[in-house]
Amino acid sequence: MRLILSLLGGIFIGLLSGLFIGWVVAPTEYVNSPMTALAQRWRDEYTVMIAAGYAVDRDLNGALERLRRLGVPNVPQYVQEITERYITNSRNVADIRLLVRLAEGFGRLTPLMQDFRSLNPETSP
Amino acid sequence: MSAPLPPPPPGFAPEQLAFSRHSRYQRPRRRVSWWGLLVGVGVGLAIGLTYAWVVEPVREVDTQPRQLNRAARADYVVAIALRFSYDSDLGRAVEDLLALNLGPDPFQQVANIACELASTGYVDSTSGIRALRTLRTFYQLQGKTGCADQLIDDATPVPLATLVIPTNTPTLIPPPTKTPTPAALTVGTPAAPIVPTALPRRTYEGQILNTFCSLSASGMIEVTVRDANGSGIPGQRVRVRWDGGSDEFSTGLKPDRGDGYADFRMRSGFNYTIDMPGQSDPIAQTLSAEPCFTNEGEEALRGYRVVFRLVR
Repeated sequence: MRLILSLLGGIFIGLLSGLFIGWVVAPTEYVNSPMTALAQRWRDEYTVMIAAGYAVDRDLNGALERLRRLGVPNVPQYVQEITERYITNSRNVADIRLLVRLAEGFGRLTPLMQDFRSLNPETSP
Repeated sequence: MSAPLPPPPPGFAPEQLAFSRHSRYQRPRRRVSWWGLLVGVGVGLAIGLTYAWVVEPVREVDTQPRQLNRAARADYVVAIALRFSYDSDLGRAVEDLLALNLGPDPFQQVANIACELASTGYVDSTSGIRALRTLRTFYQLQGKTGCADQLIDDATPVPLATLVIPTNTPTLIPPPTKTPTPAALTVGTPAAPIVPTALPRRTYEGQILNTFCSLSASGMIEVTVRDANGSGIPGQRVRVRWDGGSDEFSTGLKPDRGDGYADFRMRSGFNYTIDMPGQSDPIAQTLSAEPCFTNEGEEALRGYRVVFRLVR
């Protein structure tokens, strides 16, 4: 009886320790993830990078193809949403200008973006 | 020197007493079996880790760039190079590369990625070729080389699809006459081909006006940003870069020197490049903080006067 109780107690302690280690201390870390699994912060960053590339080369098809890697079903819609989110959250103005330019390229210029469009040196009167 | 044994209890011979002290059956029993506990912990740990790592692992909800697979990393590197082609911000590009955890020499890894992409179907499209050229420039600026140097030619930018829109311009049918004439043919007039270009557009062009040697402005870069009419433009960002660093400053902070004026003091022995990030190309000539002598014979560092003009 003493042995069985000790065994059960040990299993209980080991189980708790194993779950704590496996979920908190050293959780599973994926190392072969696709672009679609990228965290929101990095998705935003990636989108701004692509928008910057578009500002240089005006290659709308290239931008579309690169943003498609994020797994969004409707890229122009996605660009519109992220641009409006950036504006609403008062993010970096330079980034907003790039996104507005890309959104305009996709034909998604909304009234919210108009003020930032006029900040673009190429579109200002 | 051991303590003398207590006297044996009544009825026990001295030999019997010695036997009972060394018998495990005579030791007081512990309440825990250490062996059982140890085996239990081992079994429990194995079950717990299996459940936490295999059966119900932590869900992947916050993937970092360093966790991306190889193809996705390549896409991310291309995006970094594209942004660098826009703002020439090396510091930010390095930070982004570090987030990818490419290894001890990230720029060489960029060259390797470009090499891989240049060997695949990535170059089948104009966009892909253009992106690879950007990538190549990105790592070449850091003194790295890769097989993409040879695989991608240095020809002029590949033109986008040439659109030729044939538009027929119908001629009027002549009014009927008494003498019927054959029906006039409709003559098609091909329109001029439309060739979109994708050259990077720059708003300002910079140049070094002159150099000077002054003790009060030793090693100073004096920058002026002007519009097409020659008036100074305040609030424009100017950037200087040197080996291992960069700095940005804005025009108009010294209104007594003019709206478009800004300056930067160089350090002795360093070479600098100067541009307006995202708005101009770097001035081709390097600005060197070399010693010079003033008219009074005092030693100072050479200064530069630089102007950026609005070109459109």
